[in-house]
Amino acid sequence: MRELPLIEAIKEAYAEELRADETVFLIGQDIRGGIFPCTDGLVEEFGEDRVVDTPISECGMYGCAFGAAQEGFRPVVDFMFGSFSYVAFAEASVTTGQYHFLHGSQIPLPITITAGVGTGGRLANDHAMSIHGTFLHQPGIKVAMPSTPYDAKGLFKAAIRDNNPVVIPWHMGLMMERGHVPEEDYIVPLGVADVKRAGSDVTVIANSLALKHALKVADNLADEISVEVIDPRTFEPLDMDTILTSLTKTNRMVVVDEDWERCGFAGTLSARIMEQGFDLLDAPVTRVTLPNMPVPGGYMEPYIAPNPEKIEAAIRQVCA
Amino acid sequence: MTLLRMKSPKTKSLTKKQKVALFRNLVRADHFDKMMYRRMMQGKLIAFYHPGEGGLAPGVAACTFLRDDDNLSPHHRAHGMGHMLSKGVDLRYYLAEHTGKEDGCCKARSSFHYSFPDKKIYMMSGFIGYNFAPSVGWGWAAKRRGKGQVVMNCSGDGSYGQGRAHEAMLMAMNWKLPIIFFCENNGMAIHSTALEMHPTEDISSLAKGFDMPAAIVDGQDLFACAEIALAAIDRARNDLGPTFVEAKTYRFKEHDIGTPDLAGYKARTKEEHETMRKRDPLVLATERVLGDGVLTQAAIDKLHGEAEQEVKEAEEFADASAIARPSEAELMAAVYAQ
Repeated sequence: MRELPLIEAIKEAYAEELRADETVFLIGQDIRGGIFPCTDGLVEEFGEDRVVDTPISECGMYGCAFGAAQEGFRPVVDFMFGSFSYVAFAEASVTTGQYHFLHGSQIPLPITITAGVGTGGRLANDHAMSIHGTFLHQPGIKVAMPSTPYDAKGLFKAAIRDNNPVVIPWHMGLMMERGHVPEEDYIVPLGVADVKRAGSDVTVIANSLALKHALKVADNLADEISVEVIDPRTFEPLDMDTILTSLTKTNRMVVVDEDWERCGFAGTLSARIMEQGFDLLDAPVTRVTLPNMPVPGGYMEPYIAPNPEKIEAAIRQVCA
Repeated sequence: MTLLRMKSPKTKSLTKKQKVALFRNLVRADHFDKMMYRRMMQGKLIAFYHPGEGGLAPGVAACTFLRDDDNLSPHHRAHGMGHMLSKGVDLRYYLAEHTGKEDGCCKARSSFHYSFPDKKIYMMSGFIGYNFAPSVGWGWAAKRRGKGQVVMNCSGDGSYGQGRAHEAMLMAMNWKLPIIFFCENNGMAIHSTALEMHPTEDISSLAKGFDMPAAIVDGQDLFACAEIALAAIDRARNDLGPTFVEAKTYRFKEHDIGTPDLAGYKARTKEEHETMRKRDPLVLATERVLGDGVLTQAAIDKLHGEAEQEVKEAEEFADASAIARPSEAELMAAVYAQ
């Protein structure tokens, strides 16, 4: 079975979609040269009309994609670091999410928004913030995040083909994470969670780097506690069926999310579990998130961000 | 009319037919604007209305000769109605939108927004200056298709305070996109004067920094505006890149109905109003078409009669349409495209 790093899986998704559909193009800053390897070299095959570098003008850059999407193109906007999307946040979140609905559902707005996100690089807040929760708050935008190279290729291809805005950041801590990636064309549909590890005592919901941590913890606890690990893969639409089915079996849940505790995905999912699965719970849902502080740089990330120790503690707490 | 660094403007004198088309659209724009003012005062519009009286000529001039496949973002004043009717939009559906009715162009979800994708008027937003960034995308798409499509990007002096305007001008010049930055400078952004909020008297001086050809035109002169708009459109169609047009115009009324008519924090003076009113674009255009023998008074009266009828029909259409009250489930189903 062929293995690729996650970043190469994203690049393969780009290349295949660029090849298959003339309306697909990539736009960003320094993507021709490849500030991240996911776009490196694509300009050679597809040309400067389809791998487009702009000045450091996030609003203009994003607006170019937005307008082109209205014109029938299928842009992929690469903000480089997720935090930089906030420079064009009015366009990328509010205007984008509302466009289809508010203007009478007349034309689609197929935009894929991506960037590297997450802790681990000692980069601090403005290079390390997660953005999925912020975009998740905006109606009209789908949000996905891959955890494995297989999911990366399939989710990116699904995002590019979707007729709606899809925000799909990838975690920089997983950039070189290797895994099986089929050479053929496939998609991972948006809105389908994946049970990454079956278990019976507790369900852990985790994504991207936190999923890797959760799987490691599940391994370590295997003799003691049977941990089921689910990757939602997309936060919107959210596959509640898979999550509730798991809860029916385990009756305990930990939600791990590399985002702030306040107003994040973990809080939203916990509330939904309370509304839709209260009778299934044997213990309160427990969350492992970033504390409500700006993401620090330096050497603090390993003990501030969701880590295996925090995840294990949460599992033990709900199983106590 | 001042021409600043305008390369090969190819300004042609307007034909009689063109002058009639322009005049007719200005008459229509004027009737629609006054109807909206009246209806807002009568409580027959939802949200708010930003009257356009005194500043309707530039938009009509910019849009009367656009093709269906040209992109347009109208100026927000008069809610872009003069721009849109000049581009061939049937405003009945906009009035229905503005009254919350089922036949509204945005299915009554938008209050005062519009969207006519078949005319390549995709959207409006309450964020002033929203139009600049998407214009880059429309221009990029037009350039890539190579069919001579242009982007008419209309907005006011106030919107050029947005960094987005500067980013769009930068990218438009880098890529030589077919975008017309059509600034309708009425000197007022709500209560703030352009002279207070910009360091230069001419907004078009911004174009110098991007090496963009620019022109300043008397915005009260419908035909002068049209000549310069046509020249800019011609440049864009022929792949010569963007042009900045600044039309110096007026806003006779307050910012939006019900707000005070201030300049800064003091009431605009009677003298200022008298000075402005002397240069009413419809009065000036009427004098011109009569003086040049383009139209007789009888023909002008007929155009006014037709415009009145068009407005009346639009009102009847909107009034006859039912108030839209879709269920929450129906609305939820409309959030995403299939």
